[in-house]
Amino acid sequence: MLFSTISFFEFLAVVLALFYVSPLRARKYILLAASYFFYMSWNPKFIVLLLTLTAIDYTAALWIERSEDRRRKLFLIIGLAGNLCFLGFFKYYNFLGDNLALLLHRPPHAFALAIILPLGISFHTFQSMSYIVDVYRDEQKPIRNPVDYALFIAFFPQLVAGPIVRAREFFADFYAWVHPKSEEVLRGALLIMLGLAKKMAFADQFAQIADAYFSNVAAHPGAISAWRGVIAFALQIFFDFSGYTDMAIGMALLLGFRFPQNFRRPYLAFSITDFWHRWHMSLSRWLRDYLYISLGGNRHGTLKTYRNLMLTMLLGGLWHGASWNFVIWGAYHGTLLSLERMSGRSLFEKRPNLLLYPFRAALTFVLVSVGWVFFRAATFADSRYIIGQMFSGARGVSDIIVPGWLIYMVVFSFLVALAEERWEFTDRLARGPAWAYATAVVVLLLAVELIGVTDKQIPFVYFQF
Amino acid sequence: MRAALILVATLAGYAAVENLIFNTSWYPKIVNPDSSTGRVELFLWNEHKRLKIGPQVLAIGDSRMGFFPRYLRDDRQLGYTFASIAVAGSTPRDWYYMFRDVDPTRRRYSAIVIPVESYDDPETWDNHANRETDLHYVIAHLRWSDMREFASSYQGAPLRGTAALGIALKGTVYRTDFQDLLKHRRARLAAADLARRESFGWIYDYVGTDYNVSGDQIDWKAKTLFIPPGHHPEERRLFTERLFSGEPPDTGRWSAFLSYWLNRIYDLYRGTGTRIVVFRLPRGPFPPPESPPHKDHSSVRELASKPGVILDDEHYFDSLERPELFQDPLHLNAQGCAEFSKMLGKHVSELLGPAAK
Repeated sequence: MLFSTISFFEFLAVVLALFYVSPLRARKYILLAASYFFYMSWNPKFIVLLLTLTAIDYTAALWIERSEDRRRKLFLIIGLAGNLCFLGFFKYYNFLGDNLALLLHRPPHAFALAIILPLGISFHTFQSMSYIVDVYRDEQKPIRNPVDYALFIAFFPQLVAGPIVRAREFFADFYAWVHPKSEEVLRGALLIMLGLAKKMAFADQFAQIADAYFSNVAAHPGAISAWRGVIAFALQIFFDFSGYTDMAIGMALLLGFRFPQNFRRPYLAFSITDFWHRWHMSLSRWLRDYLYISLGGNRHGTLKTYRNLMLTMLLGGLWHGASWNFVIWGAYHGTLLSLERMSGRSLFEKRPNLLLYPFRAALTFVLVSVGWVFFRAATFADSRYIIGQMFSGARGVSDIIVPGWLIYMVVFSFLVALAEERWEFTDRLARGPAWAYATAVVVLLLAVELIGVTDKQIPFVYFQF
Repeated sequence: MRAALILVATLAGYAAVENLIFNTSWYPKIVNPDSSTGRVELFLWNEHKRLKIGPQVLAIGDSRMGFFPRYLRDDRQLGYTFASIAVAGSTPRDWYYMFRDVDPTRRRYSAIVIPVESYDDPETWDNHANRETDLHYVIAHLRWSDMREFASSYQGAPLRGTAALGIALKGTVYRTDFQDLLKHRRARLAAADLARRESFGWIYDYVGTDYNVSGDQIDWKAKTLFIPPGHHPEERRLFTERLFSGEPPDTGRWSAFLSYWLNRIYDLYRGTGTRIVVFRLPRGPFPPPESPPHKDHSSVRELASKPGVILDDEHYFDSLERPELFQDPLHLNAQGCAEFSKMLGKHVSELLGPAAK
């Protein structure tokens, strides 16, 4: 059940109606049942996995609270190991098996198993792990009611692809639930429409261009094709993932939950450091709080800081997918972050002046786009080929066509992003005059209706993680 | 409460803007003339614009009626002027909405001419009731008040939903065309303009092909086909599909569909001076040796029992069912079309009798 389908909106309408007509006490059961229904609509068998992980983390947190010192740590390790075992098996078994086969000179898939990656496993295991670490660090009281905890893990708006929410954020809204204010309802509806428009009218349009290129890169030689394909993917992944996130945040808001921002115009970033403050912010925060800081952060000297940075980004890359391409993508970003740090933090954390900013932002966009090659290409050989073509100097004759109207749309959305960067008007739309809100929603609805891709269902990019 | 009011007002505003774009005559004028919607629009536009002097007869149908009026345009002996809004691929459901649009006063025509394939409603493999393309053919002519009837003429919730949504928000139907317009703005506007200026000639001056299927031989018992060398490579597939696909089980599906829409067309003209002439098309170059079982109460015969409806002799055009007059299993060639048109024009004029002064 994709967020961009009619069946999902029917489901959402039923959930919202049931939620608001039910007494307060019953609402969490409705949300939990809806969340499990949503998860099972993908593959009912995997509900066992979700329930098992929920049970492990729920119990581990209680045991951590009741124990002291070494036993406390032991339960933390058991909890984390439980999550990592499941994640490792489902996500990384074949990757490790294939590499082992390579080392032992066996056929490439000698140890491979036909494993289906459970929906959203990377996200909900990270959310679970952050919970037990927070309990271990005494930053979070363990949740006594298993239904409450199960809902935290399975809450359908963010179950599949985040944002990765901390327990204290979720339960602050959950235990002190207040009916969303009228401007929150309007903002939620606006975010859902904005997300839908980003996904259907932009991401899916660019997906077709990117797919045409990446499905057979050798058939499209030359720098022009390579750059078009790569930039199309850069735009696809932004509109796709931020669109999903907008919808998730909007839906949560309609249900009275206030989720943190996950994207803040990342392609306006003026450095890679700035980019990671704007892109998939809930993951960056998770990596910082539970990995980088746990590794020592910047507290043990320069060399160890760079090591921690590289390790964090490598693991962040590997979190996205089990392939060397993702490892390289992580290493690439780790290297760029380290280089920026070496050049002086203030240079890359403080916004440059107006004259320099366009060049810095353009350079950052190009660097990020080069990184997306590893993220999207099917194999490392493809990545190498694409990068070779991008910088080969041979223009080639491109059959990767970007329609003119789509370029106008991108220019328009770029201008909107610049205005949003300056005035942050989206949040204010819900509080402003009704005509301004209505105009924005009408434009978004028309975009979905008229330029949305509907003849094929293109899954959200992050659903595969 | 404020949020609910604003959201409702916003949705109403959206529906208003959407309808302003697609429910007025503006967008259909620039729709791709080569699309199914564009074809219907061109035929209807030409028929609206055509100068109508004297008694008029309007024919409808699918591709088999496409070239019909060319040979009758200047034939003043007939006493009637013949015109056509036959669009390839259209069905009786489309015809109802096309007649409704082209003849809003129901006084424009002395008669309308409707072709059918058989008077016995033999079942078809295709489920015509579920042809989603019908929505595209007549989208420009569907009104909000048609939503219930048009949508419920489909079977199954998904198609009914698509049809209802399409009528409520026509942009969902025009979407592909709109995206094509965005891609090729200048070329599209030029094509739409050219089609408006020239399409009358395209419809009424078109000369069919001289190609014929003489030499093809059918062995009905062995269900084999002999196609001489030099014939069109697609011919074997077309004949095999048309002649040897077997008879689908008679579920009454086609009969119900045909009956419903023929009766709706009849309702349009009930009590008016316009008569409805129904005839059987020449079936093909090799008519099957066995006819479908005779049905006394088929949709066509039921319609013929009503006042103002003329059912032509079922075998009137049998003499045209010869390979030299067909270009493929279904369509008459230029010579066949000329003979058929003249026969039909003369015959319909005789059936109608002298036009009232």
